[in-house]
Amino acid sequence: MSKPSSAIGGAHPLFYPLLLVACAIVMVPVLWMLSTSLKNETELFRDPLLLWPEKPTLAAFRSVFQDYPFGAYIRNSLVVVICATAISLAFSTLAGYGLSRFRFGGRGAFLAFLLLSQMFPSVMLIIPYFKILKSAGLLDSRLGLIVTYVSFTIPFCTWMMYGYFRSIPTELDEAAAIDGCGAVRTFFTVILPLALPGMVATSVYAFITGWNEYLFALILTNSEEQKTLPVGIGQLIGQYRIEWNELMAASIYSTIPLMIFFLFLQRYLISSLTAGAVKN
Amino acid sequence: MAREAGRRSPAAAARSRAGFAFVSPAMLVMLLLVAYPLAYGMYISLFRTNLLNRWDFVGLTFFVQSLSDPGFLRSLFITALYAILVVSGHLLVGVTLAVVLASAIRLQVLFRAILILPWLFPEVVVALIFRWIFDPIFGLLNHVLETIGLISTQVAWLDDPTWAFVAVVGAAVWKGYPLVMLLALAGLQSIPRDRYEAAALDGAGRFAQFRYVSLPGLAPILGVAVILEFVWWFKHFTIVWLMTKGGPVDATNVVSIDIYRTAFQSFDFGRASAMAVIVLFICIAFAIAYRWLVPDEQA
Repeated sequence: MSKPSSAIGGAHPLFYPLLLVACAIVMVPVLWMLSTSLKNETELFRDPLLLWPEKPTLAAFRSVFQDYPFGAYIRNSLVVVICATAISLAFSTLAGYGLSRFRFGGRGAFLAFLLLSQMFPSVMLIIPYFKILKSAGLLDSRLGLIVTYVSFTIPFCTWMMYGYFRSIPTELDEAAAIDGCGAVRTFFTVILPLALPGMVATSVYAFITGWNEYLFALILTNSEEQKTLPVGIGQLIGQYRIEWNELMAASIYSTIPLMIFFLFLQRYLISSLTAGAVKN
Repeated sequence: MAREAGRRSPAAAARSRAGFAFVSPAMLVMLLLVAYPLAYGMYISLFRTNLLNRWDFVGLTFFVQSLSDPGFLRSLFITALYAILVVSGHLLVGVTLAVVLASAIRLQVLFRAILILPWLFPEVVVALIFRWIFDPIFGLLNHVLETIGLISTQVAWLDDPTWAFVAVVGAAVWKGYPLVMLLALAGLQSIPRDRYEAAALDGAGRFAQFRYVSLPGLAPILGVAVILEFVWWFKHFTIVWLMTKGGPVDATNVVSIDIYRTAFQSFDFGRASAMAVIVLFICIAFAIAYRWLVPDEQA
């Protein structure tokens, strides 16, 4: 009853059991992942099944770094995703401002293409990218991955920034223009500081998308030194004997950055995600 | 541009130039990194090629062959069924939980935080967690079912065509419903309260209020979400690939996996590109529906 004014209807008595069931369905896999990651090898394959390890150990969290080039996977993921995010953010911020403030030839076509790009099956682009990167000698390289990641983050980043700039009143631009600011100066000194929350949300989305990406990295890299985290984790399952405790530890490592982002930025993330949908 | 500028005032022409200048870097990148590979992919679909030394022009042969290939049509059907079930699951779970969370519920912040969790797990991780839970010997599911006496022998869920399909749908519903929940929650909170009061005065009960106030209020958001979600899950690869590799006996052979195999295991790049172009056209049909639902975005 923290916000009675905003609540829609009272809490029906059936709501609480429903919520508890839903939370259980969410938490059981999550806790099972945690429990598995804290087991040692004998506890892992114990019969009958051990629901929680008798002697919880962080051994699996250490051994993934010793048994696999896990450090390289993390480094590759960070380098590729951060570079792609930075590039996409820079271009999409400029484009989003241009789209929200000016009418010019090709604007409608560009907006339509942005929307259309959400429709491409990723397998559609991967065959030509495979050939293009191969010809350019960029197959199995971080630079090659950065290029492809920019290709699928830039359209939706532009769309998000366009939405954000539209929520900033144009009166500010007009006031700056009356004060004699040109378009470029207005953008950098007046509007850009106001757009920071939108830029944060957009870059977090780009980061999450890239961090989760699997198919492109699977096909466009093949040496252990170049693989990203999702591909490195995914291939642990192809082994003859699957070390599930290590696999779950690795999974937890790859989830942590997303949890941290969400914890600190959830207000921005949710509002920017829903702003476009609700306002229209 | 010049012709247009002639008709407008110099100030308008300058603004048009400024707008174009802001957009052109992104436009250039998209032409180079999106439009060009897309066109190149369509070009590849016209050739029987290994992408190296062999480029035999075959025209639309692969399109004709794909569309008359029962295996490909079956994989399109499986994909459509998969996408429909996943999106329906997201809607059902997401909207129900949004209605519950929007009511005067205690501990709303805690419940919401827990229910958002699946959204924060990478797809690879979701696939692996569920594969581990469905493991026939050491899996949690068999353990629980045996303990409560529902099954007496260990079931290899992912080796059974029907259960494998149910499992990949279930994992995708688990992973994706929070997005719909958040959208629906925001939508519910944006509906003016006086509409509920008016409905209550007219004697509408709880269900009638949902049916006649909440649902129409949510319709625009959900309409858009359904179409985008359908397209996303129609081209989905990761969860299904890591859980079943498209098997057993093609039961979960969604079209992305079919294309991936054709291209990177059979090295039949031309045919795979043709299949991908067909999928693109299917998705564009939804793009048209999307634009039809949100016409004001294009103004």
